[in-house]
Amino acid sequence: MTQACHRKCVPPYYKEAELSKGESVCLDRCVAKYLEVHERMGKKLTELSLQDEELLKRMQQGTGTA
Amino acid sequence: SGGGCPRPVMAAMSPPSSSSGGPEPPPPPLQYSLLLQHLVGEQRRPRAWDPTALGGIPSPPKSEEQKMVERAMESCAFKAALACVGGFVLGGAFGVFTAGIDTNVGFDPKDPYRTPTAKEVLKDMGQRGISYAKNFAIVGAMFSCTECVVESYRGKSDWKNSVISGCITGGAIGFRAGLKAGVIGCGGFAAFSAAIDYYLR
Repeated sequence: MTQACHRKCVPPYYKEAELSKGESVCLDRCVAKYLEVHERMGKKLTELSLQDEELLKRMQQGTGTA
Repeated sequence: SGGGCPRPVMAAMSPPSSSSGGPEPPPPPLQYSLLLQHLVGEQRRPRAWDPTALGGIPSPPKSEEQKMVERAMESCAFKAALACVGGFVLGGAFGVFTAGIDTNVGFDPKDPYRTPTAKEVLKDMGQRGISYAKNFAIVGAMFSCTECVVESYRGKSDWKNSVISGCITGGAIGFRAGLKAGVIGCGGFAAFSAAIDYYLR
């Protein structure tokens, strides 16, 4: 996350060490988006993997009885 | 849930799909449980953590008051207030200085040949200084406020912020005298801001 937001928000050439207002605002937004995307992706993936598991169980039951 | 899926998932899923195809079987559907394991489960690729990425130099965490004070000092309102006060002081100094080199200070229209007294001259200089100071303060506050707002909106910090806010400020000032004056004010102030910015960067 640090690397991604640094690449997006902080330009490669700079003259002072302090974060300017624009950069701090950009970093706030970047971190918030990253965490939200992370959370949503995690939920979606667990949901899909649960579907996967159910399908697998049904298939195994199908091949077991057949 | 997803972590307990066994390996034979892939093998169990591929035979039904290959039997339906001709010479080239369609690719097996995506195994989300496997994907989950690869992303956040046991099979994720180890990353080499750059020690500087996590703040290699240990520093004490900031207290709540410190964070609040820093947030207040970085806010747009504080910057505008600072520019207002700075503009007031600068404008006052500039006004008094211009009054000092002006020959018409203390001029009495009723009796043009009388030398004005020191009190009248000082009063005139003070009025002029105050008038310049107010103008500078308003212009400075407007410019600083718009620049801060534009920078917060864009999320970047470069020369375009001062040009845009210079145009807005100049346009707002000139607009009171008509549309054409507004456009000229926008262009002039934007060019002035760009020049100052170029000099400062």
